[in-house]
Amino acid sequence: MADVRLVDIEKKYGNFLAVPQLNLTIEDGEFLVLLGPSGCGKTTTMRMIAGLEEITSGDIEIAGKRINDKPPKDRDIAMVFQNYGLYPHMTVRQNIDYPLKLRGVDRAARTRRVQETAEKVELEALLERRPSELSGGQRQRVALARAIVRTPSIFLMDEPLSNLDAKLRVTMRAELKHLHHELGVTTVYVTHDQMEAMTLASRIAIMREGRIVQLDTPKRIYSEPADLFVAGFIGSPSMNLIDGAIAGGVFTAPGVSFPVDQPDRDDVVLGIRPEDLEISTAPDAPVIGKLYALELTGESTLVTLRTGANSVCARGPADHEAEINAPCHFVPKPGARVHLFDRPSGHRLDGLSAKGQTL
Amino acid sequence: MKRHLAWWGERALLVLVSVIVLFPIAWMFLTAFKRPRDAYSLSLDFSPTLQNFVTVFADPWNLGDMVLNSVIVATVTVLIAVPCASLAAYSFSRFRVRGRKFLFFLILSTQFIPAVVIVLPFFLMFRTLGLLDTRLALIVVNLAIVTPFVIWMIKGFIDAIPTDSEEAAMIDGASRLRVIKDIVLPMAAPGILTSSIFCFILTWNEFLFALILTRRDAVTLPVGLVSFRTERGDLWELMSAAGVMITVPIFIMALLIQKHFTRGMTAGAVK
Repeated sequence: MADVRLVDIEKKYGNFLAVPQLNLTIEDGEFLVLLGPSGCGKTTTMRMIAGLEEITSGDIEIAGKRINDKPPKDRDIAMVFQNYGLYPHMTVRQNIDYPLKLRGVDRAARTRRVQETAEKVELEALLERRPSELSGGQRQRVALARAIVRTPSIFLMDEPLSNLDAKLRVTMRAELKHLHHELGVTTVYVTHDQMEAMTLASRIAIMREGRIVQLDTPKRIYSEPADLFVAGFIGSPSMNLIDGAIAGGVFTAPGVSFPVDQPDRDDVVLGIRPEDLEISTAPDAPVIGKLYALELTGESTLVTLRTGANSVCARGPADHEAEINAPCHFVPKPGARVHLFDRPSGHRLDGLSAKGQTL
Repeated sequence: MKRHLAWWGERALLVLVSVIVLFPIAWMFLTAFKRPRDAYSLSLDFSPTLQNFVTVFADPWNLGDMVLNSVIVATVTVLIAVPCASLAAYSFSRFRVRGRKFLFFLILSTQFIPAVVIVLPFFLMFRTLGLLDTRLALIVVNLAIVTPFVIWMIKGFIDAIPTDSEEAAMIDGASRLRVIKDIVLPMAAPGILTSSIFCFILTWNEFLFALILTRRDAVTLPVGLVSFRTERGDLWELMSAAGVMITVPIFIMALLIQKHFTRGMTAGAVK
């Protein structure tokens, strides 16, 4: 086990700067998720840790040792690839055995460890098959087994669940979490799925255009997004973001007025999550508009209203019913968080307290 | 009804084309079993004989020596060209080196040069080196002709292999060469086998260089055929028997690789 330090890492492809000056420390035993939209540099960053991509400048340290110039095989890492990267001409057993074979583990120990690992990921019945005879989920397990068979000091996972169907993804997610708990190996995990990031991570690094926008625990990223990008990226459905201005201690936009504890200013974005709003009949509700859509998700109903140019969504009870275009009022729930952002820069406004304002 | 007609039309066309293509070959096979007096007859009514095959292997024709020359030249060429080309193809496929595209074009461009243009320089070079009429000379020339083509072909196969497995192997602890041995070669094996056989066929059928560079000792089968044009006229039945000896091994190989072959050509074609 080991920690990973990226110091002023930079990656250029020709003139294109993919990752500028990145600094990141991944603690020993941590499950760090690199989260961001495609092309944000998260996979490049991971591949630089793996040694599959050369770094243009900066230093990478694993367990305190600089490993910039070491080939992947000498970094004591294991990686799970998005497309599994299995060896199609080898059986499942040979696939799992390959890392041990390369490291000169003796035959008896290899047989035992392959067996143990296969049992851990429930592959023992499939050991003599070839990858082409397996389903997507089974292939994913083989890739996982191959990674854990030799207990490396760091796991790298590059969108390992993205090729699985939705149901299997949830199952495998729980398995990954359990596995990390069991092995306690430092893990770096790349994904663009915010749900995966929230559920798996000890900490999430949200990346955009090669930069880390926010690095924090899932809880804090959810409750205190550092800027508009993070606020819009995390949460499903995503946070309501309403353009407006603050005057006299009240945030105002068409159909929206929230009392806020901030000095007057223009160009403000107010953010509030759908789960922090509830449907009300109060005539003086902070959000007033016309009902635009009702979406039943099963455990709740997503209620969207329109006011001026804005749509605002609230999570209401599953049995909520109303007519489209009927007047609709939202009030914040007790303890709801209201977030304020500066429109031009996107930064969080209540930086003084670094906390969402609780109503 | 209309579809029916199209179906029959299609079949008829296929048969017609096959007849046109296969007729000379079929005629050669027939002639190989004819006696000299039947060779010019158009009748299919003749008593077949194996005498021609006995004659071509006996003095003065000694087809056996030519078979041996052809086998040695083609085999050694394949054994050298394919491993070299595999490594080159891997490098061209995987390493992003400055000037890579230009270099690859340069190698391929050798294929645009007509053989007649370079046969004379080759002749002069080998004369200076005292290598005229040797198998070594033929092997060297064939390597120069065949290797670029095989590099191009194998590169097509390697390009089609996703890099994921290779990267996984490198992380699992393999060096680059180990990756090539354990992962790339087994995955590219059908393609490499196809390329090998293709390379063998090219070398086996090579005529121009063998004609110019050999005289007596290193004569290969295609050149040997010419010797059946004598002062006594063209000995068609012997020439056909020798022709059968040349074609049969190629037929067998083509049959063996037929399945991979089309895949190989398309894999190469799409780059």
